[in-house]
Amino acid sequence: MTELARRLEALLFLSPDPLPLDALAELTEAAPDAVTGALAELAGRHGPDTGLEVVEIAGGMALRTRAEMAEVCDRLRERPPEDRLSPAAMETLAVVAYLEPVSRPEIGRLRGVSVDATVASLVDRGLLEEAGRAERGGALLYRTTRAFQARFGLRGAGDLPPLERFELTGPEAEAVRRRLSEAGHLPASEGPRPVEGAPAPVPDG
Amino acid sequence: MLRAAVPVTDPLRQPVDLDLFQGPFDLLLTLVLREEVDLFELPLAELVVAALGGEGEGRWDPATTSELVVILAALAEVKARRMLGEPDEDEPDPDAEEARERLAHRLVAYEPFRRAAAWLAEREAAAAGPRYRSVPLETPPAPAPRDDAAELVAAMGRLLGARPEPSLVHMGVRRIALPELIVRLREALARARRVSFDEMVAGRDRLEEGLLLIATLELARRGEARLSQAEPFGDILIARR
Repeated sequence: MTELARRLEALLFLSPDPLPLDALAELTEAAPDAVTGALAELAGRHGPDTGLEVVEIAGGMALRTRAEMAEVCDRLRERPPEDRLSPAAMETLAVVAYLEPVSRPEIGRLRGVSVDATVASLVDRGLLEEAGRAERGGALLYRTTRAFQARFGLRGAGDLPPLERFELTGPEAEAVRRRLSEAGHLPASEGPRPVEGAPAPVPDG
Repeated sequence: MLRAAVPVTDPLRQPVDLDLFQGPFDLLLTLVLREEVDLFELPLAELVVAALGGEGEGRWDPATTSELVVILAALAEVKARRMLGEPDEDEPDPDAEEARERLAHRLVAYEPFRRAAAWLAEREAAAAGPRYRSVPLETPPAPAPRDDAAELVAAMGRLLGARPEPSLVHMGVRRIALPELIVRLREALARARRVSFDEMVAGRDRLEEGLLLIATLELARRGEARLSQAEPFGDILIARR
């Protein structure tokens, strides 16, 4: 390994947080290009046949254990209790991740439900943070945090697939419209359906 | 222990469980996109409660609320027509058509975020395995202690030395027994037929004065003395019987 790669390895090993490229360049007094090259060399040393990997995550570089090592690692150090996110929390995170900075009323309007409690709990968990106030109306704005990027394995803010990838296709969107429209009409074969709780018709005789 | 992978599910293949849905669009989209579910089964009341009631969470800004009311009204209209049937009309009701179109537009606009949330869940499961160093960087060593043993001994000596007994002079305890006062009164009455209460207590403190009054009353109760007082708060004459 080159001297620079050795130094980078030492720094990544020691740092509890991902180290941005410019911080690595400054610490090693090397040019960013040289650091990038040395990082590639280092990543090659920590290949799939080793217990560690070099990754870019949450805005920096990190040396971490490979996913397959989770079981043995957790024997050494107990994991904190699992913190599952509700579907509402996941969808709120998705909205913020794509639209940040975004206010609570905007998220609520999009989701069609009040999100105050969900946003508050995501702020408590460190996945969202305040990001100033909107110019119009002065509502508090929110954005995702580095903890969010780390949790979801993102390289940095905005490391997301384009939203268009998730849009409904033309025929799918058409199906939504058709279903809603049909929902208001009876199928030709049926008579009116009984209203729930209405008394049953009394048979004649 | 391996973290259980969060199952990445296609919402269209999940059973419809109201608890899983936290917003009206969420549920409605699922129902609409699953063609086998009849919108007749749409739990409208739950949708309204989820959207507007919502466990008293926060307040709505008027714009959001009015928009939601429109959406929910469109839903109610859709369901009412489904339940009661729609009269045969040559021309569909333009208002109803518009409401449905708005609803469809909102649903289509929201679906990408729902799918993005599923993608995030997938990423979360994949990112759950690796572990990071979480030990803090070493803190600088504490400054070396001063090795002045004599000073340390002196300090410990001051700390451990016997403390002087606190003075209790100011807390002197006086004991006056009622029987003694009664005896003193009897002796006074034995010397003179009558005595003045004021003379008896002259120079005594309030405690003794109070107790002597009780002793006087006790003698009167036993029939050994007769009391007379010319005026309220005046001197009490104690006479032997």
